[in-house]
Amino acid sequence: MASVHESLYFNPMMTNGVVHVNVFGIKDWVTPYKISVLALLYEMTASKITLPERRRLNQLILPLQQGPDLTLGQFLQTVEECCPQTAYAVKLRLHEMADGELKDMEYFFSTLPTPFTAFDSEAYKTSVVGLFMRHMLLAYNKLSFSQVYKLYKSLQHYYHSHYAKPTDGQEGLPALVADDSDMDLTSAEDTVGDRTGKEEMDTPLHVSELRNDNALSRGPLSQKQAEYFLARQAYLLKNDENKALKPAALQEELNNMLKFNPDFAEAHYLNYLNSMRVQDIFLSAHSLLHYFDRLILSGNEGKSNGDEGYGRSLRYAALNLASLHCRFGHYHQADLALQEAIRIAQESNDHVCLQHCLSWLYTLQQMKGSDSTVLTEDSVKMAAHFCLPYLASLGIQSLVQQGATLGKTAHKLMDALKDTDILHWKHSLSELIEISLAQTTSIWRMYGKSTMALQQAQLLLNMSSLEPVNFGVQQNNTEAFTVALCHLAELHAEQGLYFAVSEILQHLKEQFPPHSQHAKLWMLCDLKIQFERHMNEGKYHLAEPLVTAISALNKTEGLFRKAQVLKALNRSTEAYSILKRLQVHCEKTKCTEMVIRGMLATAGLHWESSGFSTALPLLLQALASARQHHLQSLASETILHLAFTQLMLGVPEKALNVLHEAIEPVLAHGAVMEKGRALLLTARCQMAVAGFRPNRKGQADWCLLSPCRFSSGSFGC
Amino acid sequence: MKMAALCSEFGDLVQIKKHLISVTSLCKERGLLHSAKWGSELAFALDPLPKDELPPSAPFTEDDAQDLDALSLAKSYFDLKEYDRAAYFLKGCCSQKAYFLYMYSRYLSGEKKKDDETVDSLGPLEKGQVRNEALRELRVELSKKHNAGELDGFTLYLYGVVLRKLDLLKEAVEVFVDAIHSLPLHWGAWLELSNLVTNIEMLKSLSLPDCWIKDFFMAHMYTELQMIKEALQKYQNLIEAGFSKSTYIISQIAVAYHNIRDIDQALALFNELRDQDPYRIDNMDTFSNLLYVKSMKPELSYLAHNLVEIDKYRVETCCVIGNYYSLRSQHEKAALYFQRALKLNPRCLGAWTLMGHEYMEMKNTSAAIQAYRHAIEVNKRDYRAWYGLGQTYEILKMPFYCLYYYRKAHQLRPNDSRMLVALGESYEKLSQQVEAKKCYWRAYSVGDVEKMALLKLAKLHEQLNESDDAAQCYMLYIQDIFSCGEQLEHAEVSTALRYLGQYYFKNKLYDEASLCAARCCDYNDAREEGKALLRQISQVRDQIETPSADLFAPLSNNNTPVRRVSPLNLISFTP
Repeated sequence: MASVHESLYFNPMMTNGVVHVNVFGIKDWVTPYKISVLALLYEMTASKITLPERRRLNQLILPLQQGPDLTLGQFLQTVEECCPQTAYAVKLRLHEMADGELKDMEYFFSTLPTPFTAFDSEAYKTSVVGLFMRHMLLAYNKLSFSQVYKLYKSLQHYYHSHYAKPTDGQEGLPALVADDSDMDLTSAEDTVGDRTGKEEMDTPLHVSELRNDNALSRGPLSQKQAEYFLARQAYLLKNDENKALKPAALQEELNNMLKFNPDFAEAHYLNYLNSMRVQDIFLSAHSLLHYFDRLILSGNEGKSNGDEGYGRSLRYAALNLASLHCRFGHYHQADLALQEAIRIAQESNDHVCLQHCLSWLYTLQQMKGSDSTVLTEDSVKMAAHFCLPYLASLGIQSLVQQGATLGKTAHKLMDALKDTDILHWKHSLSELIEISLAQTTSIWRMYGKSTMALQQAQLLLNMSSLEPVNFGVQQNNTEAFTVALCHLAELHAEQGLYFAVSEILQHLKEQFPPHSQHAKLWMLCDLKIQFERHMNEGKYHLAEPLVTAISALNKTEGLFRKAQVLKALNRSTEAYSILKRLQVHCEKTKCTEMVIRGMLATAGLHWESSGFSTALPLLLQALASARQHHLQSLASETILHLAFTQLMLGVPEKALNVLHEAIEPVLAHGAVMEKGRALLLTARCQMAVAGFRPNRKGQADWCLLSPCRFSSGSFGC
Repeated sequence: MKMAALCSEFGDLVQIKKHLISVTSLCKERGLLHSAKWGSELAFALDPLPKDELPPSAPFTEDDAQDLDALSLAKSYFDLKEYDRAAYFLKGCCSQKAYFLYMYSRYLSGEKKKDDETVDSLGPLEKGQVRNEALRELRVELSKKHNAGELDGFTLYLYGVVLRKLDLLKEAVEVFVDAIHSLPLHWGAWLELSNLVTNIEMLKSLSLPDCWIKDFFMAHMYTELQMIKEALQKYQNLIEAGFSKSTYIISQIAVAYHNIRDIDQALALFNELRDQDPYRIDNMDTFSNLLYVKSMKPELSYLAHNLVEIDKYRVETCCVIGNYYSLRSQHEKAALYFQRALKLNPRCLGAWTLMGHEYMEMKNTSAAIQAYRHAIEVNKRDYRAWYGLGQTYEILKMPFYCLYYYRKAHQLRPNDSRMLVALGESYEKLSQQVEAKKCYWRAYSVGDVEKMALLKLAKLHEQLNESDDAAQCYMLYIQDIFSCGEQLEHAEVSTALRYLGQYYFKNKLYDEASLCAARCCDYNDAREEGKALLRQISQVRDQIETPSADLFAPLSNNNTPVRRVSPLNLISFTP
């Protein structure tokens, strides 16, 4: 009411009152950058250029035509790298137009070779270049009087802003030098032209991206720039969160983008991803739904998929909502959303979507802690049937994980992983390759084969990234890498190489700052290592505060550690009750490793009360279950416990027999601490067998001599 | 300022009238047409002043005299929308009035150019960049003056508008508050402020001058924030204070009644309004909404034709015609007219939502979603659009998905039963009976508009075999329906009676059962069952030769089963 101007408001995006969301479908608008490209094309057809230079220029055309708008500096630099002479000519031509009058620009457009007449040139109407020129000419001819003037103004601005900021050129200079040397090396052989082109194009794009970051806050992006920005940030969020913009900064950019282009639906999706990063459920749900509301509109307009596209996005909308709730741990909500997605997908016979639903279904089951093997198997079968390699091998990996915890034989698991690996390489599913390697590392570690685990971890860490965007960059910050690095740290800690451990952890901290989504993995790993160290050094007061932190990250682990500390502090009753609770909990969740650890710790408690004979059945049970699950390190540890019990029960011969079984694997794979204990125990057994009955004094000496306080209490790992 | 000192006490109508007359002339001189209109409308509602009581015109300073010629020239250019020309001739003038007009012309010129520019931009790259180029300069100049404290009430208002356009909302609020303090009578500044206030806490935290106009502002704000009761109270006070003839207040009250769906009251007020001001177009879209809800075809048709005669290119007219076609089930035409309304003003919220409804009728869900999304973009607090989105997804059979939208709508209108019933239905579809029960019960507690919540609740209880609760709900439902006196429309009464009959029969309360069965016979669809039940009852009675005494007790409310546990005891929270 008070704002008079509101009646003047008119929205050009509307025809018949309906706002056309997809105005961006029309991508061919004449911009100053496009004029520069036209000038380049013109120069290329007009002037004589040597063959290698022409070849390089030809390689440049497609990326220039289809890439985002570059600034003049970047553009000229790119061209200069290929052919300085042409770059100069282009610059001259632009100068003519920008410093001349409007008629110079009009003249330029009129002199462009018309694709319909030039039969022999590259600009023939059906060629890529010809098509581009036709589009441009058509777009130019459509401009109204004031639009032409505006175009000219912006061309002038484009040209002069390049010279107004000489810093731009200087910034680009080092890159230029580096590229030149690159060029010299590779340009000799034109057979690797493909690769050269790629690298050539990559560098300016990175530069432009860097500059984008500064320029973003200044003004809106063009369609292409925005798309590129979104794609890159989304990629980084997935693969290398550290390099992506900080959540707040990204949010700001997105808000900015949406302010100028409220119809840019993809920005909402990135907004959703970004809010997930900071665990903001409200904003992420809001953005997700907004995105799909928008998508439904644009899906409807797409001619090729028609009605199908519209229904499709609905299904995926529900599916995405399910995944959102799943990630925030709202399993019930996720279940409802998933059921909805499944129902709609079934109604419209969309098998691919159903397949996605199925894989989410088993994931959800797993997260809820129930058995989902059957579902997963079904999912794998169906995925293979519908030729969805990604889902199929994801399912297999999940099956392998379940199989490993359920004690499937090693060769079956490894076979399955090997088969999926073939699939991955065939379809170059780099993400899954990484996961597969990390998984192998974990399985080897679980089996207690530290050397194999080490080897697999190194393999993953030394592997170059296979993603096209980060091609050739060695480090890729995915979850798989975090897992591998954590294993590496723990393996080093086992060998007492704490300096190396701290270096690895430092690296992890840098790569995955605490707010990022995989940070919890290394945090837990760090805490565990510290805890072990303090326990081994007998500094229980230092270990105790760590327990709280551990339980915050992992409840089960925290419970176990608490029992350990209590046991070390001789508060046996409390420790015993905690271990009982742990036992019950772990049996329910089928966490065999923890069950065995709990048993060993309980056996240790029995020792303290000299109940060696009561510890025996417990240890045997632990041994059986460790062997059944192929947990070698735990099995050998159990054997050590068993031997010690036997020694204490006065049957050192038997103990020695048992020990022989365990000593080899311990020496081969065990931690330093374990090796020491095993050897010590062997020595004691041998002494006992040899008839050397240490009197009380002798035993006391033993205790003093032993590297750690070799009492029954500290025996448990 | 002098003005601020004057307007201290509320109730002195003569004084208020004087204020209004003087501020209206000030606004007119500065081209602030809407504020002038508001002021004169209100002044018209008050008794005319005797000649000697008329307020003196604003003091004429030396500066004013100097700028007089330039100002009158520029004002005439300004009135003809030649803003640049007006600004050119005002450059260098030093009086406050000239300065305001100078800045205001520059601002409007920028706005006009921006709008023209958007038509022929150079593609999407430019599209987002189109903005009022004058804003930045204006801001720089005005902020300099602002810091120096040289701005008067009108220029402060303009400064606020510039800040708001630049999305500097926090600063804008401060400046508007300043503007109001320095010139409390300028309604435009209050209105701009009202657009920036998002919640009641923010409203309370503002320090506003204590002036009679504040009551108008508060009433307006309460309406905006959906606090209808408070708003109605405020307006009632204003009417009692002597503004009973004001069309503005009448229309505002009518809109408020419309918002709380008190349709009859609102209709009466609108009819009164049309008697007093037959050529009024403002708010007529709301009126047509009411007529639409009541399905009053002839009245709506009359209104539409009347408005077309007055001015057919007004947003409100288009909305009325859209409603008219919608009522006649010509949804394509209706959509067309809503589109036309949006062409006239794309920020017209109601039209977006109504268009969404039309597309829903036409089963064009994606277009409906688009329209609703636009409505939300214009105003995030538009509960009807959220509700509409929810409905769309419900039609697409996505009950879980639509929960989010219904929840949003419910958040905005916590006491509206329709959202609660919709939420309950979605929960029911998802087999979340507990939540569904809560929703239905709450819907009943806040005053169910459609009278469906209880029935649904009863059916839910029936499904869950909670027969006592179900019977209780049916009983309440029947009481509810009969108290309204419109049992014809609700065929479900027979369902309730049938269930109650069976229920009493099972519980061996044969008198009540036979009463219900007899009532069942009044309805066609339940007649047979009613008769069958009566027969069963008489059979059972024959078998039991000695009926106990208490069975003859007359049916009264005491005999209805006592509700043992309400699903969610929210009665105490009902407003």
